This record gives sequence, structure tokens and C-alpha cells, in this order.
Amino acid sequence: MQNRRDFFKTIAGAAAGAYVAGRQLPALAQRGGGGGRGGAAAVPPGPRKQISIGGKRVTVIDVHSHCTVDGVAEVVKGTPFERQAGGRALGADRIALIDSEGIDIQVLTINGYWWWEVQDRDLANRIVRAQNEGLARWVSDHKDRFVALSSVSLQFPELAAEQLDYGVKQLGLRGATIGGHVNGQSLSDPKFDPFWAKANELGVIVFMHPGGADNIIKEDAWKARGDIGNIIGNPLETTYFLTRLIFDGTFDKFPNLKVCGAHGGGYLPSYFQRTEVACDVRGNAMCANKKHPREYLRTNIMADTMVLTDEGLRHLVAEMGISQVVYGTDNPLNWPVPVEMIVNHSTLTNDQKIQILSGNLMKLLRINTAATA
Amino acid sequence: MQNRRDFLKSIAAAAAGAGVAGRFAYDVLAQGAAGGRRQISIGGKRIRVIDAHAHLSIRAVSDVVKGTPFERNGNAAANQVIGPDRIKAMDALGIDMAVLTQQGAWWYGVPDRDLARAIVRTMNEGTAAVVKQYPDRFVGMAAFPIQFPDLAAEALEDGVKRLGLKGGGISAGFIPDKEFSAPEYDVFWAKAQELGVLLFMHPGGDTGAEAHLRGKGNLGNTIGNPLETTIFLSHLIYEGTLDKFPGVKICCAHAGGFLPSYMGRTDGACVRQPDACSSKKRPVDEYFKTQIMADSMIFRDDGLRHMIAEMGVGQIVYGTDMPFPWPINPDTILNNRLLNNAEKEAILGGNLVKLLKLSPTATA
Repeated sequence: MQNRRDFFKTIAGAAAGAYVAGRQLPALAQRGGGGGRGGAAAVPPGPRKQISIGGKRVTVIDVHSHCTVDGVAEVVKGTPFERQAGGRALGADRIALIDSEGIDIQVLTINGYWWWEVQDRDLANRIVRAQNEGLARWVSDHKDRFVALSSVSLQFPELAAEQLDYGVKQLGLRGATIGGHVNGQSLSDPKFDPFWAKANELGVIVFMHPGGADNIIKEDAWKARGDIGNIIGNPLETTYFLTRLIFDGTFDKFPNLKVCGAHGGGYLPSYFQRTEVACDVRGNAMCANKKHPREYLRTNIMADTMVLTDEGLRHLVAEMGISQVVYGTDNPLNWPVPVEMIVNHSTLTNDQKIQILSGNLMKLLRINTAATA
Repeated sequence: MQNRRDFLKSIAAAAAGAGVAGRFAYDVLAQGAAGGRRQISIGGKRIRVIDAHAHLSIRAVSDVVKGTPFERNGNAAANQVIGPDRIKAMDALGIDMAVLTQQGAWWYGVPDRDLARAIVRTMNEGTAAVVKQYPDRFVGMAAFPIQFPDLAAEALEDGVKRLGLKGGGISAGFIPDKEFSAPEYDVFWAKAQELGVLLFMHPGGDTGAEAHLRGKGNLGNTIGNPLETTIFLSHLIYEGTLDKFPGVKICCAHAGGFLPSYMGRTDGACVRQPDACSSKKRPVDEYFKTQIMADSMIFRDDGLRHMIAEMGVGQIVYGTDMPFPWPINPDTILNNRLLNNAEKEAILGGNLVKLLKLSPTATA
């Protein structure tokens, strides 16, 4: 097993993300030009941007954001995980950021999944409890602007199921967030069935965020320009994760699952053909899936909009269907993903834009539309 | 460096699997037994269909490596030795001409210069002999020992000038412990640029990820192949190799890996982290619109439309992966509801006529 890389070290490596002229990549000027806090967007408090389409105010939900919460540091104090609890604590700057970007409701998740390496079950449980309670506190203080997804101790699948149940029923969380592997193990392994069964039963979204494919590629293989550990590693991990769920039959066992892959679902939705035909043309494919791979892509699998180009988004929608694509920013990191990429998209209809910006998520996240009127 | 997967072994498995699973629909060699030569027309006009992605093996290589550690690698895969079966398969599909490349990349690990030179010389002379035997049905690409950049340049030049091959075949995205973007390979890129010939790149199964791509779905191929191509191209872009050699043109197998279908993140890196892009001079799509080409192995109507939107139709060429079973019948292009006739003709053959500098009337 390889150790999971330090998620926030990777984030810090993003340096001050000053804007570089690129083709159709939108400028980040509205984020104050990037910079500050190690590449995170930092904006002064200002007016709240309100998005309308066809003259009608539209709610904007961001499915993909990162944060940490207070309370975890105390839990891991004096343990080998002491240094990993830090990161981007939520604060007033987050509200200023989503105000400036026209985001009405942000879906908060804690990522990095360092706590999946914790072998002490009690400690693992206390970490996740602190994370989820911290998220619930923040959401409770900012009810109309945030919802959150539950962390889980997926190295203990039964415990993860309990945590998700508690998080959703007692803490008001709206689903779960997970990484692409548990210490190198594929999440299609039957040992994780208790977690999937719970998500299936609750009918909640599972948001998956990768960590550079450290389960697949050795870290030293990525030493090169282009930050390719992130640029290739992240979509690779997501591709592998989703592909295993398809071929190993996980979606057949749990047909109610809605698994949303970050960064446009990795390469898989945009380059689906090889997965689509593998069971037919590769004699050694041993596929366990009962349905055609495309059926999972158009029902169980969702993706955020982070393919970063107008044409890429058109293609993503064409392959997945409009119901599977949801707006995501990777906030507070500096990616060129302003809401205008959706609002001003060259081929999507107004109805499709509204679906992406919030329509697809309202019901799944149990968001009361009146709250954001 | 990890050992390359045994390419021949995986070939044998795929060939056997096609029959065992009863999935003859995609088995091009089996289809070939059916009948005469199909002639493809678009809008009433006969067009020439050229396959950019076809494998071959040369039997004589086994003699060269006899008694060396590479003896087993030198055994030709029977379904890749060009003969009447291949012609029949092409006839059945309506393929007029195929571009042959030698794949497997095992010779990139040969440490002896003379042996490496002898291997690729035998490969290239064998390829030239096939082309001579079927001059209107095949052109060939030269193999080269990239681990010796000077020899690689020499083999490419010899293949093109002496043997009449049309370009070079890059048989893996990696060199043992190195990337193709390392400056020591500049001599090879300089030669390719000087000769002005097309390079066809095919992954060889060495991303270091293979151990983790086991399991259902044949992921070493399904994910491993496009991944290797993605890493290969990313280095050439980010390290500035394609800027240093703007005349280099590389056509990549399997729809060019993931990048043509998922291009946004490459420049996204530059927005987040300008240092990452310090050697790269142009926006990513410009490389794909000028220097990087891809075969059409995307199988999906919207997938191909997307590639055309990102790269331009002039960068996409029909490819089959013959003799392996994939859904690559030319009908997948002809019946694509999102392409116009000019685009179909360009992809099925027109682009390669120009790129390979073929006589436009050879198969009229």
C-alpha cells in the first residue's frame, strides 16, 4: 500500500494562481486575480452576484468545494495524524467568495481522506464525528447558503454506513463524500457493500473526489512540468474508480446509487467508448456488469462541469444526458470555472443551463427552493 | 523500470477471446472470410479508405534475436504476419490501404547497439518487402531503437530514404526510465522534422500502472493504453518539445488517448500554476490543431464530433487496430449522423493521402 499524499500540500503547491492568458479559459479577475492563501481565491467582501437566465433569477448550486472545520485538530492531537487536520477552515472569506461568484448554495465536503489510514476504529469514528458536527454547525449558521456531505470512515465499512445514516438523519447532511480508493483497495470490493447499501437505501448523493491516483501511479512517475500528478492523476483516479464500479457490478447490486465524479467525472464520460465496448471485444474482460455500460453513465453516474471548455461541456452533456451534469467549481481553488461558462454556453438551452446550475440537484440534495428565493 | 507487459501474450489472449466469447461481430479476420472486396463511395463518389492503425509482425526478426534474452519477443504473432488473410479482412471492410507499424516496444529495452540496429533493420526491410508485395494496399512505418537516439534517427532516415517507408512508428509512450521529451532525444525529433514525415504513436503498456489495472474490464488496455498516450503527449506539450520541433507531426492511436476528448484541464494547469507551463508556448488546442493527430477509434458519434471540434477534421484519420477486434467498421464513420460528407471523406482517407504524400489516384 502506498500512503495517500497530503491533499493540502498538493493544494498549497498550486502557488499563487495568477491569471495566465489562455485561449477560451475565462479570466479569473472576478476572484481578485487569484493569489493569497496559497492559490486559493481570496476576495474582499462585496455585493452578492445574482444569476438570471432569460430574465429569471436562477439558483446556483456548486457541488464541488473544499473545506476543513474546527474541532478535528483536538481529536487528532498527539496522534500520527496531528499534522493532517489543518487546511482551509471555513470563514467569512468563503461567503465573500461565493457571493462574488454568484453561487447561492455551496455543497461542502472535506477531502483528502487521510483519515482512511487511521486503523484505530474509535479514533476514526471520533475524527469523522468531529468533521460532520463541524460541517453541521457551519451549515446551521448559514442555512440558506450551504449544505454539506458526510465524511465516512470507509476503512471500516459498517461504521461508514452508520456514520452516513447518522449524518443524514441526525445532522442534516445530504449525502457522502469519498475518495477513489481505500488505501489502494477498489471501492467495488464487496467489503464496501455496507456503505453502498446505506447510500442506496437513503437515496443520497455520493460525491467522489480523487487524490492524484496514488493507488495507480507511483508519485515519482509524475515529476515533470505541468503538475501532471493533478492534471492527469486526478481524472485517472476517477476514471478507474467509476470503471471498477461498472465492471465489478456495484451499480447492479445498488441500482439507486448516484455517484458524482469530480472534474467532469474524470476521463470516463468524455472518452467512454473503450469502456463501452471492452466487455464485447476483449476476451479477457470478465465483465460482471448486467447492463450496457452506457446505462450506468446515464443513471448512476453524475459529473460536475469541470471539463473547463464550452465544447467539452457540450460533449459531456451529449454523452451523459443533461440530468447527470451539475455545476462544480473546486472552490476555493483557482480553476477557470465561472458560472458564466454555463450561463453563456453556446449550445445549451436555457432549460439545460438551469438543470446544470441547480435543477438536477434540488431534489437529490433535498433543497427547499423557497429558501433561496 | 518495470518490465513491459508481454505484448504478444495479450495479443494471443485477445485473438482467442474473440472466438471463445462468440463475439465474431468485431473479429475482422473472421469477417474477411466472407467474400469479395468492398468498395466504398460517399455521395456516389468512390473514395479511398486508408487505415492509419494496423499492426504487423515480421517473421525474420526471430532469427536476429535467436540466442539473446529477447528470443521470445522475436516470435511473430501469426495474426500480424501480413498475408492473404489480412487482405481478405481489408477487402471485407472496404479498406483500400493500411499503414503498417511494428508494435510491442520490446526492442526499446535492448541494451546492445548492434543488436538493436539489426532488429529494426530486419523489421524495416521486412515491412518494405510487404509493401513491395502489395504496393497498392500497404504503406509502412519505420521502427527505430529510441534508446539510442542517434541510431533511432539513422533508422528513421534509412527506412524513409532507402526503403521507401512513409514515416516512423513510435511503439510506446515511454523509454526505459525516460520520457520522449528528454533533450537527449532531440536528435530523433530533429530528424523526423527534417524528413517531414508522419510519426504514428501506439502505447506499449508501461505506465507503471499495470499492477493496479488488473481485474474485470481488461483495464490495462481499456484505461492503460489511453493513459500512456496521455502522459506521452502531456510531456511533449508541457516540456516544450513540440515548440522546439514545430514540424513534427504525430498521430496517436486510440483517438489520441484521453487528451483530445478532455482537453480543458491541460491549460487549466497553467491558470492555476503558471510555473507548470513555463516551457509550453501555445494554448493546448493549437498543438492538436497542427502537430498532433489522432485515429478515429472513438466509436461514438458524439465522441468523433467532439474530437473534430477540438482538433479540426484535418487531424483525424481512420484507424482500425487490425487484427484486433474493435467496432471499427468504416460504416461507423459513414453512418455518423453528426458528420458531413466532406468530413467523412477526409477522415476515411483524404487526410492521410496528404499526410503520407500518397499519389491521389493510386487506387482509382
